[in-house]
Amino acid sequence: MATPVVVLTNATLHTDARSTLLRATLLIRDGVVAAAGMNVAIPAGAQVRDMHGLHIWPALIEPYSDLGLPASTTDERKAEVKGARQGNAALRAEARAQALMKPDAERAAKLREQGFALAITHRMDGIARGTSCALLLNDRPVDERVARTDVAAHFSFNKGSSPDAYPSSQMGAIALLRQALLDAQWSARTKVHDHDVTLAALAQQLSGRLVVEGADRNELLRWSVLLREFGVTPIAKGGGDEYARLKAIKSTAMPLLLPLRLPEAYDVEDPYDAQEVTFARLKHWELAPYNAHRVDTAGIAFAFTTHGRTDLKGLWKDLRRMVACGLDTARALEAMTTDAARLFGLDDRHGTLAPGMSADLIVTSSHPLDEHNIIHETWVAGDRYVHVDPDLAELAGTYDLNLGDAIWKLTVKGVPAKLESTVRRASEADSLAVKVKLERQGPLVTLSFSLKDDANAITRLSGTVHAGGGVWDGQGQRPGGQWFPWSAIREAGSSSKDRNDTARTAPPNSAGPVHHPLVGFGWTSAPQQLTTIFRNATVWTNTDKGILRNTDVCIHQGRVVALGQGLQVEELFPGKVRPAITEIDATGRHLTSGIVDEHSHIAISRGVNEGSMSISSQVRIGDVVNPDDINIYRNLAGGVTTVQLLHGSANPIGGQSALIKLRWGQPADSMLIRSAHGHIKFALGENVKQSNWGPGSRFPRSRMGVEQQFYDAFHRAKDYDSTWRLWNGAKPKTRNASEEPRRDLQLEALAEILRSERSISCHSYVQSEIDMLMHVADSMGFTVNTFTHILEGYKMAAKMKEHGVSASTFSDWWAYKFEVYDAIPYNAALLHAAGVNTGINSDDAEMSRRLNQEAAKAIKYGGVAPEEAWKMVTLNPARMLKLDHRIGSVEPGKDADLVLWSADPLSIAAKVERTYVDGICYFDRTSDGQQRAIIASERDRIVRAMMAAKADGAPTRKARRERQHLWHCDDIGEEGHQHEEHDDH
Amino acid sequence: MITRPTYSQLLSHRVMRFVFAIGVIACANIAHAQHPTPAPPQHRSILITGGTVHVGDGRTIDEGAVGFRAGRIDYVGYAYGVKAVYDTTIDVRGQQVYPGLIAADAALGLKEIEAVRASVDDVDVGELEPELRTMVAYKADSRIIPTVRTNGVLMAQVAPRGLLISGTSSIMQLDAWDWEQAVFKADDAVHMTWPAAYQRGGWWAEPGETDKEKKDARNTRIDQLRAFFQHAKAYAQLGTPLQRDLRMEAMRGLFNGDKALFVNADAAKEISEAVLFAKEMGVARTVIVGGYDAWRVADLLRDNRVDVVLRRLHSLPLRPEDDIDLPYRLPALLKERGIRFCLGYSGDMEAMGVRNLPFLAGTAAAYGLSAEDALRSITLDAAAILGIDGITGSLAVGKQATLIVSKGDVLDMRSNGLTHAFIAGRRIVLDDHHQQQYRLYKGRMEGGQ
Repeated sequence: MATPVVVLTNATLHTDARSTLLRATLLIRDGVVAAAGMNVAIPAGAQVRDMHGLHIWPALIEPYSDLGLPASTTDERKAEVKGARQGNAALRAEARAQALMKPDAERAAKLREQGFALAITHRMDGIARGTSCALLLNDRPVDERVARTDVAAHFSFNKGSSPDAYPSSQMGAIALLRQALLDAQWSARTKVHDHDVTLAALAQQLSGRLVVEGADRNELLRWSVLLREFGVTPIAKGGGDEYARLKAIKSTAMPLLLPLRLPEAYDVEDPYDAQEVTFARLKHWELAPYNAHRVDTAGIAFAFTTHGRTDLKGLWKDLRRMVACGLDTARALEAMTTDAARLFGLDDRHGTLAPGMSADLIVTSSHPLDEHNIIHETWVAGDRYVHVDPDLAELAGTYDLNLGDAIWKLTVKGVPAKLESTVRRASEADSLAVKVKLERQGPLVTLSFSLKDDANAITRLSGTVHAGGGVWDGQGQRPGGQWFPWSAIREAGSSSKDRNDTARTAPPNSAGPVHHPLVGFGWTSAPQQLTTIFRNATVWTNTDKGILRNTDVCIHQGRVVALGQGLQVEELFPGKVRPAITEIDATGRHLTSGIVDEHSHIAISRGVNEGSMSISSQVRIGDVVNPDDINIYRNLAGGVTTVQLLHGSANPIGGQSALIKLRWGQPADSMLIRSAHGHIKFALGENVKQSNWGPGSRFPRSRMGVEQQFYDAFHRAKDYDSTWRLWNGAKPKTRNASEEPRRDLQLEALAEILRSERSISCHSYVQSEIDMLMHVADSMGFTVNTFTHILEGYKMAAKMKEHGVSASTFSDWWAYKFEVYDAIPYNAALLHAAGVNTGINSDDAEMSRRLNQEAAKAIKYGGVAPEEAWKMVTLNPARMLKLDHRIGSVEPGKDADLVLWSADPLSIAAKVERTYVDGICYFDRTSDGQQRAIIASERDRIVRAMMAAKADGAPTRKARRERQHLWHCDDIGEEGHQHEEHDDH
Repeated sequence: MITRPTYSQLLSHRVMRFVFAIGVIACANIAHAQHPTPAPPQHRSILITGGTVHVGDGRTIDEGAVGFRAGRIDYVGYAYGVKAVYDTTIDVRGQQVYPGLIAADAALGLKEIEAVRASVDDVDVGELEPELRTMVAYKADSRIIPTVRTNGVLMAQVAPRGLLISGTSSIMQLDAWDWEQAVFKADDAVHMTWPAAYQRGGWWAEPGETDKEKKDARNTRIDQLRAFFQHAKAYAQLGTPLQRDLRMEAMRGLFNGDKALFVNADAAKEISEAVLFAKEMGVARTVIVGGYDAWRVADLLRDNRVDVVLRRLHSLPLRPEDDIDLPYRLPALLKERGIRFCLGYSGDMEAMGVRNLPFLAGTAAAYGLSAEDALRSITLDAAAILGIDGITGSLAVGKQATLIVSKGDVLDMRSNGLTHAFIAGRRIVLDDHHQQQYRLYKGRMEGGQ
């Protein structure tokens, strides 16, 4: 416990990571640094300690901990008194760490042993998790340990112990939080709901410090988008892979909490096992140690956290590795002291050892990053905790052990806290040495050992240590009970203090490049938008010009600028400044617009369905686009350039779609087609009735129920819309602030449908339900935009034509569930013949790369003309997405989203040679071949490095195959239920 | 156990019926929603002439002819070389003539609607059940089967699904009143799934079981299989066992070559383990099903004369950075390495999807295989792997007259369009529920209703 005044003299004092004072004095009064420097007067009555040979550093700060705040159990949640608070149990914004704290002395001690004196701790449970407090890691009563309350408000995408079904997906978590924050602001403005403790807490937190948790780079970017709407830049706890999206993360301006934890290597000796470790994992293993340095170099503020480490002690090894990979030593320490303090506004009291600061310090034998450094003591607000007593003599070394009748060799290794010792006869080889049980108590030592050939012949020695550990002597007892005097004298030059080394971390292997995205086939230098002329192609224009042979197409600045025979560069670019032009001989090849997949679930993170509720119009696929999905690249290789990422079909009213262009390598944000019209998924039939899974207790369970859900939803949306119309129509001065309507994201999306500002893509199969939804739409005054799947559309073609709805169908799927037993492959042909705008979609990550083949089936089944069949995967779906003014045909002015095919695109022999999006070539069969070689050589290089690391003693883990989850319509939850049969379309 | 005629008895029985039955060539049935009438035995001799004949063994004959009577082919050659007289001559100039296509490892006829459990009979409870026989659950009048035939698939090895040892398949021809009539070769193979060598990794937030536990579970399964096979091998040596064991009876044929062992395995290690296991157990004939990595262990397969039923080519690469077109190139990779293979279609929507079998072969042709080799992988080589190439699988004199005529390349969806199909000389009605619905609603549309 702290003595009122303590003076540490003669120390090597580091008041911060960059200031070193030799033979300095540190004066601590009442747990606070009173003075630090060379000429400090020592007051009378002070306890003085000579710190000769020792270093003093500021103690470390753990900024992201749940120390003393375990997550709730289900039972606790059930017993919880809800009170007047926002309904969803994943929102626990009102939780305050200081009020919930349950001291955890053991964990605090473990942190202290590694040099931590302060932890910012919060209950890691729920989406809104409440506030953290800064907790001193000493043993005082909790109220004395709390250094600061409500340090930050914490958020995650993980609903934790919440027993509520909603949210079951990440997009649901985002929608829930977004609505809650809007509610909080609204309630603060209107004072209508100000009794709600959760909303009140949220409203207050929005103006303070927010910390959000992201599992990886993409989640960090999602947080930035979500909170930008509320004008907040949070501190983000990342996954250590920020280097893979450095530019995008830098642009968010979010300070980062980086994990002080490096990934383990894999067991890759077996070449088949090695194959199962993905390229992304291999690359991350190699690049993760460089992350902190790159983040630092980019000018992003950061601190380290040990959260997630099971082996706390190993943090120093990982940190040394990061330093070896470029991180500045001082920055490494600052990230655990001053910078951590500054990010959380604690730098007025913590992080340095300047006068006035809390006496949080560590006493070490050398620099903390030295491999042989010993953390002797941690002081927490003046309370001293000794881990390895620096006053204890250093015992390591080799001794001549005189046992009276013989001289033996005694070897002692290890740090003072954990000594290992062996003896052997002086004449024997090292390999014959036997283990010694060595115990030490202050200046007293006890040794016992038995001879190799006789385990019962134990020799026991007891004695004292003198001369700084160099001389031991005392009495011993031989086997048989005979007493004798013994002594041990250390050989010169054998103690660790004599060691003349600066322990080196293995020099870093030179890191390979970062691929964008960081998976196989990611690029290392961004493909450029080039002015290109395709010469002599067969061009499928999708216009009234039809299919043109021997035709040239010129693209420039992302657009098609000219199309015709024998295009002349001089005519195209008459000015003096002519762009660099790439000419591609397309003789014998076919050039088309890119394929548009109206129904896709690729590139979606953590849940394609918010299946916890039957109306989920508030969720947005656009919030969870996964730009790293290899299926984006595979789709490009199949000629796909634009896709509608749809919510699944678990609910009558699903979520909002994301329309993306397959700009491979770009972050999610840059893939979204910003100006696109809004779309939303609806669904009918077996999936929304949950006919093929689940308990069957959710409403609706029948097609009757589905209809009524729609009416109920749209009537509510109508009321909502008129309430807002009234409010918006009223003059601001005449408005009563307390009557401001509440913004409801769910109804808002539905009102957009009623106003024809959002279009429905409705999963549908049978006649009755198709008819029903058109009736609902007619009576509510809007038009259904697209029926997707629509396998019985052929029975309703005339009515669909009359309603003005498009049909986006499968070429030939059927018989996977009862409602598709009457599905026929002639569906597309019949709908097309009836004049319905008809497309063919995939709903499948594999089929989407063969949509040209699927379109060709419309020729086989129903005799559709090739040109019209081709439009079914290009122009017609572009119309459905209301993007046909930009994409879907090859004509001047339209986006240069083009595909160069080796043959007629509808033939089975057709292969994509190049795919362009916005005039940028994102897939090229030639570079694909080079990529394969790069993947192979990078794999080989990193696998060798891993084997070397393992040989050096690095921990490893087994290879595991990672099968990517492919989303289908009715997958529920974040990882979907893993039914193998696809009864889900 | 049900006693059933042997393969040769069945054939002679058929031949007898061919002689006495009066054949009526069914014309396209225009009634709606009706199962096409199974064809009676061939009564009149038929000559298909003028088309390009794809023999199935790699050869083609331009302006060729195929003649057959009483269900057997008696002429294959150039049209001008026909000497014999035929009752019926069908001129197919400009069209393509192929052997009937054969689907190996298909669950056809065993499940009508995948999500309707009541209609699914391809899997049972239990893990070691070679005694389960697919043919008795085969729904001869499945609505699916005619839609498969109209794309050219006329025969299928109907295989069970399930864990470890899932049952015994039979080879069926796809035009019959009932299963007994559909059986082409009864109980041809026992089907097994080799325990997976690599587990699906957990996911960052929800790590699964530890590796150790899974590895133990896998070893337990392999031990289970070993014990089962050892028991079966010993049992097979007994002529008349004291106590009859249905499961062991079903395994008997594996050791004397009456039955083949079809083992599902994709990863190189799994394939190697499975092949060596079967060898150690004394299995006479082993076929790998799946075979994603088969090309990597080609030497082992070749040395042990193991064939491969390749997994559905229209699938995604198993590993994220495998070559994007690797599944499409598997046939060419096996061909280069001298491994015999045919194409399968197991997986989701496998029963209805069998009609896309020709397009898998078409894709194989686009990715390195010659067109005739691609055809061979769904005709002659499929027959050879199923052990029926002596009597079917190619257009050869003496073989059954099981063939199709398409207006264009049958491997390309634009031109796949059957004009004629025959199974053992029986003229198949090329109609199905889909065409019936098409006609019905086209009529409605044209009538302006």
